[in-house]
Amino acid sequence: MSYLILKDLEKRYTKGGNLVVNKMNLSIRKGEFIVFLGPSGCGKTTTIRMISGLEEVSGGDVLIEGESILHKKPKDRGVSMIFQSYAIWPHMTVFENIAYPLKLQKLSKSEIKERVMAAAEATDITALLDRYPTQMSGGQRQRVAVARAIVVKPKIFLMDEPLSNLDAKLRVSMRTELKNIHNKEHATSIFVTHDQSEAMSLADRIVIMNKGVVEQVGTPMEVYHDSATKFVASFIGTPPTNFFEVSIEEMNNELFAVSKSFQYRIQQELRKALKPYIHKTVDMGIRPEFIDIFHEDQVKSEYLYDTVIDFVEPQGTHSVLIVNLEGKEAKIVTTKYMDIRPGTKVSLYIRDGKAMFFDRETTLRIK
Amino acid sequence: MSKLKLANSNKTGLPNTDIFKKKQIDLKRVFSKKAIPYLLLLPAFIYYAIFWLAPVFAGVAEVFTDVNGQFTLTGNFKLMMHSDLFDKAVMNTALFAAVSVMIQYFIALLLAVLLSRKFRGAKLFMFIAMIPMAITPTAVAILWKTGLIKEGWINSLLMFLHIIKEPIVFLNAEGLAAVFLIILIDTWTVTPSVMIILLAGLQGMQRELKEAAYTFGANKWRIFVDITLPILKPSIITSIILRLIAAIQVWAIAVMVLGFNKVPFLVERIAFYVDAVPGVATSEKLAFTFSFTTTVIVFMVTIIYLKFAKRNTKIGGSS
Repeated sequence: MSYLILKDLEKRYTKGGNLVVNKMNLSIRKGEFIVFLGPSGCGKTTTIRMISGLEEVSGGDVLIEGESILHKKPKDRGVSMIFQSYAIWPHMTVFENIAYPLKLQKLSKSEIKERVMAAAEATDITALLDRYPTQMSGGQRQRVAVARAIVVKPKIFLMDEPLSNLDAKLRVSMRTELKNIHNKEHATSIFVTHDQSEAMSLADRIVIMNKGVVEQVGTPMEVYHDSATKFVASFIGTPPTNFFEVSIEEMNNELFAVSKSFQYRIQQELRKALKPYIHKTVDMGIRPEFIDIFHEDQVKSEYLYDTVIDFVEPQGTHSVLIVNLEGKEAKIVTTKYMDIRPGTKVSLYIRDGKAMFFDRETTLRIK
Repeated sequence: MSKLKLANSNKTGLPNTDIFKKKQIDLKRVFSKKAIPYLLLLPAFIYYAIFWLAPVFAGVAEVFTDVNGQFTLTGNFKLMMHSDLFDKAVMNTALFAAVSVMIQYFIALLLAVLLSRKFRGAKLFMFIAMIPMAITPTAVAILWKTGLIKEGWINSLLMFLHIIKEPIVFLNAEGLAAVFLIILIDTWTVTPSVMIILLAGLQGMQRELKEAAYTFGANKWRIFVDITLPILKPSIITSIILRLIAAIQVWAIAVMVLGFNKVPFLVERIAFYVDAVPGVATSEKLAFTFSFTTTVIVFMVTIIYLKFAKRNTKIGGSS
């Protein structure tokens, strides 16, 4: 059964203004770690603020355990929020910060103490309880914010870019820890970020948003290898997917993707789906690691184009090769020819079944 | 190994003249580098010494010498305490400082919270609220005086609104009523400046701090008392000190609106003895003694207040 359901959720800030969140539908199971991923301004933060009660809903509904929470005050919704700036109060000690939500609930002093200690232990900050936030590092403040969120025993944790104020190294260790806490507390979490590697490493399922619309909901592997829209294919992955404008043509009972400089034979499985597009233009996308620069005997692949390597960017584990394809840069990731010289003549081959095609109007994947 | 030996031989052997010379040069360089800031500050220091320190010392010296130039520790203070209206001046100053700061604070905080909500027309409202700040005390006094006279605009307005039937003669006010009249005018003048400091504090506050409290179940009043006020405390303390000092030094409005001797204040006394009865030796002494006393009071009030305020803020909210 779904734990949290968003039903046609909508948000506009002014009457008749733009839809910041447009008919969003989503259902989340208990214990899931969901990540909202998208560029800034895509509506991801607005969505969790609507769930938390900080933002009013313009249309649709939010249900937790089958019950609409829209009429409820934030504290009665069973959610707790972790903010980007941590939002821990500078005039209170760590103990007072964590205890404040419980004080508002008018719990007894002994119960407050017990629960604060438990939350502090879970986040490993028992030694800091008497300190003030100004005397602590960013990572420690983050832990206090997490402890304060845990202490109210919420049904759902809402995290609004909680790691973006930390330095790169701490961010990586903190995200592992957040996932640990999530597992230990048997929590259900929604995590907002614009950082795809953060999203991929944390999420059970990723919700990819763009301009207020959900582009795809899926596991990290699904959104990467089975992108539903052109936006997803271009947003997920570094370097990003290479796109070419091609027209679909039929020759000798086979389908070809034809551009000015190449004729690419399309895999058999896509025949049926692409048939309506004959003589029409579509976007063809190929991830950089699925392009070979020489024909490999053991690999099933299809010839694309002859070209020259312009630049080589060694990354240690792999190299990024940049070639010129129809006046545009195309990026190729290779682990085999990491020492290749710029200027080398190469023949590009696409691994079998790895070319993706997208409808130009709907931007949906054709498959 | 070889380096160690070399070092040893230097220590035990003849003094190394090269090193000695180098040290001398270094010393010179270090000295001149350290001296530069002092050299740069020297003109300002000389200016202060001539135009500030000297008069201050001369003034203090006046306080402790009698009319004949003889040293006296308490003579001038006794003279001051027995001077006309001294008791009243002290009482009025204390009353004025306490009441005006409280009233101005309350109004300023209210206005600041209101303006920080960014409602429609907030900018226009702020502009209007700031106008009194831009007017000099003299102009303020004239403005209010024209309002407070029998045929003034305040009486006209009150009568037009049928709140009063007969014009009130405000300027005949005496004693407490007069002090409150001055408090009223002063509040009108300085509340905007207090409000600005508080507003800056409010606007500098992260929105998420309040939102966090809200999501955990605090209502608006609790958020204000538990979160906003304590975080605002540093700017509150600063502005209260500034107000307190200014309030103890009140005089211009009182003299401009009501004239000398009507509502005596400590600094009003100074002005009175300098301006109204100049040339008399004792009045000069009295002016100096009043100045000295007021300065000491300002110092003491500031120090006591700061100690009190710091004890109540466990940590300076500065982050």
